[in-house]
Amino acid sequence: MPVEVILPKVDMDMTHGTLAVWHVAEGDSVAKGAALFDIETDKAAMEVEAPASGILRAVSARPGDRVAVGSVVAQIYAEGEVVSASAPLAPAASPADPAAASPVAAQAPAAPAPALALPAQAQSGLRATPAARAAARQAGLNLAEVPGSGPAGRIQRDDVAALLDRAAPVASPATWSPQTGPLHISHRKGQGTSLVMIHGFTADSQSWAPLERAMGPDRALIRIDLPCHGRSPRRRIRSFADLSRMLVEAFDAATRDVETVHLLGHSLGAALALSLADIRARRLASLAMLSPAGLGPEIDAPVLTGIARASRAESLAPWLRCLTANPDDISDDYVRAAMRSRADPALRAAQAEMAEVLFPDGVQVFDLRPALSRLTLPACMIWGRKDRIIPNRHALAADGECAIHLLTGAGHLPQIEAPDRVARILRRHLVAAEAPI
Amino acid sequence: MNALTQEAALRTLSYAEAIREAMALAMEADPTVILMGEDIGVYGGAFQVTLDLVDRFGPDRVMDTPISELGGAGVAVGAALTGLKPIFEFQFSDFAMLAMEQIVNQAAKLRYMLGGEASVPVVFRLPSGSGTGAAAQHSQSIEAWFGHVPGLKVLQPATPEDAKGMLLAALADPDPVMIFEHKLLYKTRGHVPAGHYLTPIGKALVRRAGSDLTIVAGSIMLHRALEAAEKLAADGISAEVIDLRSIRPIDRDTILASVRKTGRLMVVYEGVKAFGVGAEISAMVAESDAFDYLDAPILRLGAADAPVPYNPDLERASVPQVDTIEAAARRLARREV
Repeated sequence: MPVEVILPKVDMDMTHGTLAVWHVAEGDSVAKGAALFDIETDKAAMEVEAPASGILRAVSARPGDRVAVGSVVAQIYAEGEVVSASAPLAPAASPADPAAASPVAAQAPAAPAPALALPAQAQSGLRATPAARAAARQAGLNLAEVPGSGPAGRIQRDDVAALLDRAAPVASPATWSPQTGPLHISHRKGQGTSLVMIHGFTADSQSWAPLERAMGPDRALIRIDLPCHGRSPRRRIRSFADLSRMLVEAFDAATRDVETVHLLGHSLGAALALSLADIRARRLASLAMLSPAGLGPEIDAPVLTGIARASRAESLAPWLRCLTANPDDISDDYVRAAMRSRADPALRAAQAEMAEVLFPDGVQVFDLRPALSRLTLPACMIWGRKDRIIPNRHALAADGECAIHLLTGAGHLPQIEAPDRVARILRRHLVAAEAPI
Repeated sequence: MNALTQEAALRTLSYAEAIREAMALAMEADPTVILMGEDIGVYGGAFQVTLDLVDRFGPDRVMDTPISELGGAGVAVGAALTGLKPIFEFQFSDFAMLAMEQIVNQAAKLRYMLGGEASVPVVFRLPSGSGTGAAAQHSQSIEAWFGHVPGLKVLQPATPEDAKGMLLAALADPDPVMIFEHKLLYKTRGHVPAGHYLTPIGKALVRRAGSDLTIVAGSIMLHRALEAAEKLAADGISAEVIDLRSIRPIDRDTILASVRKTGRLMVVYEGVKAFGVGAEISAMVAESDAFDYLDAPILRLGAADAPVPYNPDLERASVPQVDTIEAAARRLARREV
C-alpha cells in the first residue's frame, strides 16, 4: 500500500497552507525523514518530511497551490511496488515520463492551476455540503466512504463526524510491543548556534511550528521526538533516568557536528533539558524551559493520562481544553486533528504506560531541583500564569540567576498560546547568551 | 410585537415619534438642517411623521414641495451641495423612481465627479413596504435597487431606537443616505434613549444568538424572523437572527461570522426575491471562506415574482410572514433542504 503524504496541521488555527516547493520530483525516490516539500503560512516557510521511504508519485498539489489541511498531496510507493489501480490519483503511465505521470497534467492539461487541490471525489458527482467536504479533507477521509443522510443522499457535516467517531477504535489495548532504534531527530538549516528543542508529553516536534514561525526562519533548529511520541520508536521507559539516558544519546547524535547548542524544552521536555544540562553543561550555550516539569511533586496527572488514553475526539476534547488558559483556543476541528494523530492504539497505550511510570499516583516522582541548583548556564523559565497542569510557583525553585517570565493569558502551552511573546523572550535570551560578557 | 418593542420600564416612543425626535434634535442643534417634502407642513406628512414640526420650526425650515419628486429632490440635492443639510421625505418609497436622476445620477456621483471637492449631505426618507392595502404602486420594497449604486448609503431601521439613531447618523454623514422606513412599523413602540446618539452605519446586529441556523433580516422582516425564532426555540431549534440594518454598506463580517458558527443561512427580505438583497448576501457568503462552513444550501425568502396584489389575502401571501419564515427555517434546520 502506498503511504499518503498529507498537508499537516502545524498550527491551532491553520486550515490551509500554500505548497511552496517540492524538494523531490515526482518519480524520484525519497528517504523517510528527508525534506519532501515546504509549506508557506502567513509568517514563514515550514519544511515537511517524507513520512516513508519510496518513490514519490501521484503529486496532486503544485507549487503555489493553497491546500486544505489534511489533504493528500502525493503518495509514496515502496520500491518496486505496483502502482495500484484503485489509488484514485495513481498514474498509469511510466514514471519515466513525468508529464504523463502527473495526474494534474493528465486530467486537465490546459487548465490553470486549481486554487485548491481537491481530492478526486470532488469531481465525481458525490453530493456533499461544503462543510462536509471541508471536514473530510481535514480528516483525510474519502467522501465516497461516507453515507449521506441529507436530501437525495447528500453528505452533511454530521455524517462525516459520525463516521470518524465510528472509525475511532473503541478501547486501547492493554498491551503494546516495545520497539527499538534511535529517537527521531529533524533538522532545519539555518544560521548561528543551533537550538535543540524537546517537546512535552503527548506532543511531538510538529508542536513547535507556531513558535518556529514566530521566531522567523533564520536560526538552525534540531528537534527531538521523545520515545513513544511523533516519529520516534515506541521504546519502553522504566524510569525518568531511563528516559533521560535516551535523550542524552539522541542529543549526542544530533549535535555531533557542532561545538555548542542552545537547549529548549517544554514541560516534560524541559525537565529532560534540565537533566541534560546537568551532564552536558559544556556543550550548551543556554537553557530555556517552558512550563518545566520536575521542580515539585504536584501535577494534574488526570489531564495527562486522560490525553494519553483518549480513544475518541469527545473524550480527548475536555482534557485538551485544560491545557490552555482559554478553552476556546481548542476548536473541535483541532481536537479531531489531534485525535487523528493519536489514532494508533499502541501509541496511546505506550504513552499511558509512560504516564504511569513518570507520574504514579499523580505525583512527579523525578526531582530536578538539585540539577537546577547546580546550573551555571544562562537560563530562563517561561510559564503561563494560568497553567492548570503544573503550578507555576514551582518556578520559585530557581535561584537568582535564572530569569522567570510569567505570561498573562497563557496556560500550560505558552509556545502555542502566545508564540510571539515567547519568541521575543527567547530571541533576547539567545542573543544575551551569545554576547561576550 | 416582541421583547424588542416592549421594554416597559424604559422610555418608549413609537418609530414615527423617534424619527420626529431625531429631526427636532438635529434642527435645534444645527440651523442648516431643513425638512422638505410633499404635505409635510400643515398636513404633517403622509404618515404623520413630521406632524407638528412646522409649528415648531416654521415654514422656512419645514418646506412643502410641489407634487414633483424630481423637482423636490433636485432642490434638496442643490441645497445640500450649497451648504444645507436637507431631509427630503418621499410620500412613498415607490415615488423615488420619479427622482432617480437626482438620487442616482446627481447625489450619488457628484462627490466623485467633482474630485472630492464637494459632497451632497442629503438624507432621503422613504416610507416603504406592503401590508397597508395600498396596491402595487404604493407597496414596494425597492431598497435593493439603491444597493447597486456606488455613492449611496442605504439603511433600514427595524426599531424606534435605530430609526432615531440612524437618522442622526445619516445627518452626520457627508454623503447622501437613504433611509427606508417601514409603514407598518411607524406605530410600533420601543425603548428610545433620550438625547443625541448615532447608530453606526454599516453595522449589523445579532438580535438573537443561536447555533443551528442564521436568519438575516431587516426592517419588519426582523420582527417576523424573531417571532419565528421564538416558535422554533420551543422545538429545540436555535436560530441566530441578524438585523441587517444597512444594505449599503453591508456588514460582511457579522454575517460571515454567524455562518461560520451555524453552517446554515437563510435571508429574509420584503423585496422581490430575484436579484435582491438575498442574492447579494448569498453570493457574498459563497465567495468567502465561510463557504467551507455551509452545511446546507442557502435559502432566500423574498416577495413573489409579481407586483404586490391589492387583495389583502394575496398581499399577505406575496411577502414572507412569520409562518412562512418558521416553516422554511424548520426545513433548513432539519436538513430537509
